[in-house]
Amino acid sequence: MEPAPKRSRRSRSGLALAKGRFVLGVTVPLLVYESLGVFVLGWAFVLMFFDYSSGRVGGPVLGLGGSNPFVGISHFVEMIRGTSVEANLFRTSLKNTLIFAFAVLPLNLAITLPLAYLLESIGDRFKALYRTIYFLPVLTSSVGVALIWLTMYNPQSGWINAILRFLGAQPVSWLSDPRAGFLGISVAMWAVILAYLWQDYGYNMVIFIAALQAIPQEFKDAAMIDGASAWRVFTRVTVPLIRPTMLFVCVMTMLSSFQVFDIIQVMTDGDPGYRTQVLMLDIYKNAFRYQRLGWAAAESFVLFLVVMGVTLLQMRLLRTEWEY
Amino acid sequence: MASLTIRRVPITRASLPRRASAAARRLFGYFLLTLGLSLTLLPFLMMILSSFKTNLEVLRVPPTFFPERFTLENYRTILNDPRLPLLRFYGNSAFVAVFNVTSTVFTSALIGYMFAKHEFRGKRLLFGWFLALMMIPSQITMIPSFLILSRLGLINSLWGLVIFSAVDAFGIFLMRQFCESLPNELLDAARIDGASEWQIFVRIVLPQLKPALATLGILSFMGSWNAYLWPMIVLQRIEVRTLPVILTWYNSAHTGQGALVMAATVLIMVPILLVFVNFQRWIVRGFTMTGFR
Repeated sequence: MEPAPKRSRRSRSGLALAKGRFVLGVTVPLLVYESLGVFVLGWAFVLMFFDYSSGRVGGPVLGLGGSNPFVGISHFVEMIRGTSVEANLFRTSLKNTLIFAFAVLPLNLAITLPLAYLLESIGDRFKALYRTIYFLPVLTSSVGVALIWLTMYNPQSGWINAILRFLGAQPVSWLSDPRAGFLGISVAMWAVILAYLWQDYGYNMVIFIAALQAIPQEFKDAAMIDGASAWRVFTRVTVPLIRPTMLFVCVMTMLSSFQVFDIIQVMTDGDPGYRTQVLMLDIYKNAFRYQRLGWAAAESFVLFLVVMGVTLLQMRLLRTEWEY
Repeated sequence: MASLTIRRVPITRASLPRRASAAARRLFGYFLLTLGLSLTLLPFLMMILSSFKTNLEVLRVPPTFFPERFTLENYRTILNDPRLPLLRFYGNSAFVAVFNVTSTVFTSALIGYMFAKHEFRGKRLLFGWFLALMMIPSQITMIPSFLILSRLGLINSLWGLVIFSAVDAFGIFLMRQFCESLPNELLDAARIDGASEWQIFVRIVLPQLKPALATLGILSFMGSWNAYLWPMIVLQRIEVRTLPVILTWYNSAHTGQGALVMAATVLIMVPILLVFVNFQRWIVRGFTMTGFR
C-alpha cells in the first residue's frame, strides 16, 4: 500500500497533506450545499405549524408570524376531526391515494411477474425486442402518456368507448361521471389507474427479468427432476428466490404510486367531484393555487409519514434472512 | 421458510416430457406476450396516426384507425405557431437537461470517489447524512424550495429550476459503489508518479467510471426531460417553460383540436425515443442496477 520511499517524490506527510486538501476542496462546498438542504428541510418542518400564505406579508423572519400566525398542531387536529372544506378534502385525498396505491400494486404484480416469467422462460432472440417495447412507456413523458389516454377515454371519439359500442355495451363517460363505479371505486379512478399501470409496468418487468435471469438454472432443473410441475417450480423455487426483488419492487411501486401526480393532474385534475383527487394533487392545489402553504406543508408531512410507514411495514413483511 | 427438499425419485419419471402440452403452453405464452406487446404499442400507434389526421377526423364517431387523408398540416401549424415557438421550448428543456446531466455526473463522480477512496474524520457521519437526505421525498422540500426561489427572485428562471438538482444524493451513492471496486494500487501508482489528487480524479478515476457515468447521465437526462411538477411550479411565464409544461398548456388552449395536440405530443417524445434507441442497453442496465425512477 505505502509507496516505496525511494521512488516517492513526496514525503508521506506531503501526500497526506495533498489528500487532505483534496478532501477539504470537495467537502466544504458540499457541506455548504447540503446545509441549504437542511435549511429547506427545517423550513418545511416549521411551516406546518404556521397558518402561512405566500400572499401575506408576515413577520421579519422568513415571513413567519404577524399575519402568518403560529397555530401549533391545529392543522393536524383539523385534518383528523375538522369539518372545514380543506379538512374534508384532505381526508378524501388520503383515501383516494390509498385506493390508488393499493389497486396499483396487486394489478402491477399480477401483470409483470407472470409476463416476466413467460418472457424469461421462452428465451429466444426476440426476447430483447419484447423487453425493449415493454419498456417504452416508462421512458415516455407522463404528460404525453396522460394526453394519449385522454384521447382514448374521450366519451365520443375515444377508442375505448368505440370498442364498448362495438361489443354492444353502453359507452361510459370515463373521466366525468362521478356516479359510475366498479368494485366501489369510481370509473374515473379506474381510468387513471389503467393509464398509470400502462406507463409503469415495464419498469417492474425489467427488474423481474433481471432477477429471474440471476436464478441458477440448476435449481429449477433439480425441482423438475424431482417431478415438480412448472407451476410448482414457479411457486416453490422461483418466487422464494426472488423475494428480495419482490420486496424492492413492492416498495418502489408503492412509493411512486403514493406520490402520483402528473397523470392525474393532466387527465382529471381531481375531477369528477374530487373522485381522483390524490394527496399530491391536493398539496399542489393548496400550496400553489390557494396559497395555503402552511396547510400544504402539514399535508406533505402526513404523506411522508404514510410513505415511510408503508415502506417499513413492507420491509418487515417481506424480509428474508438468507441469500443464494 | 422455503427449502429445497430433495426426494429420491427415479430419473425415468422426469424423462417423460409431455411434448404436446409443452408446445401448447409455449404457444399460449407467446400469445400472452404478444397481447401485452400490442396493448403497449397501440396507444403509441394511435397517437402517431392521429397526428396525421385532420382535427375533424379525430372527432369522428366511431374513430378511424388509419388517417383518411394523410396530412402534415398539424406539424406545419405547430412549427409555425407564433405563440408556440417550439424551438424555444426545446431550447429551454435542453438547457435544463444539459445542466442537470453535467452537474449530476460531475458532482456524483467527484463526491462518490471521495467517499470511496479517501479517509477523513466524520466521513461516516457525512455519508449517513446523505442517505438521510436521499430518503426525504421531494414533496416535503418542494414548498420551502419554492419560497427560497421566490425570495431570491428566481421564479421564472431556468437557473432557479436547476439549482436544487446540482447535487444528487442518489448519484453519489451509486458512484461511491463503483469507486470502491477501483484498485487502490492504480491510484497509488499515479501518486508515486507525482500526480496531484485532482489529476488522479480527472485522468484515472473518471475514465474508469465511464460506463457508470454514461448510465447515470442518461437516467438523469430522462428524468430532467420528462419532469413536470417542479418545472410547472417554478416556470410560470409561458416563454420560459419546458416542454412537458408547455404541452399541457397547449392542450388546454386547443380543446377540440385533438390531432394538433397529438402532433405536439409526438414532437415532444421524439428526443427521448432517439436517446432510447441509441442507448437502450445502458438504460435498461441502469434501471435494473439502480432502481432509479
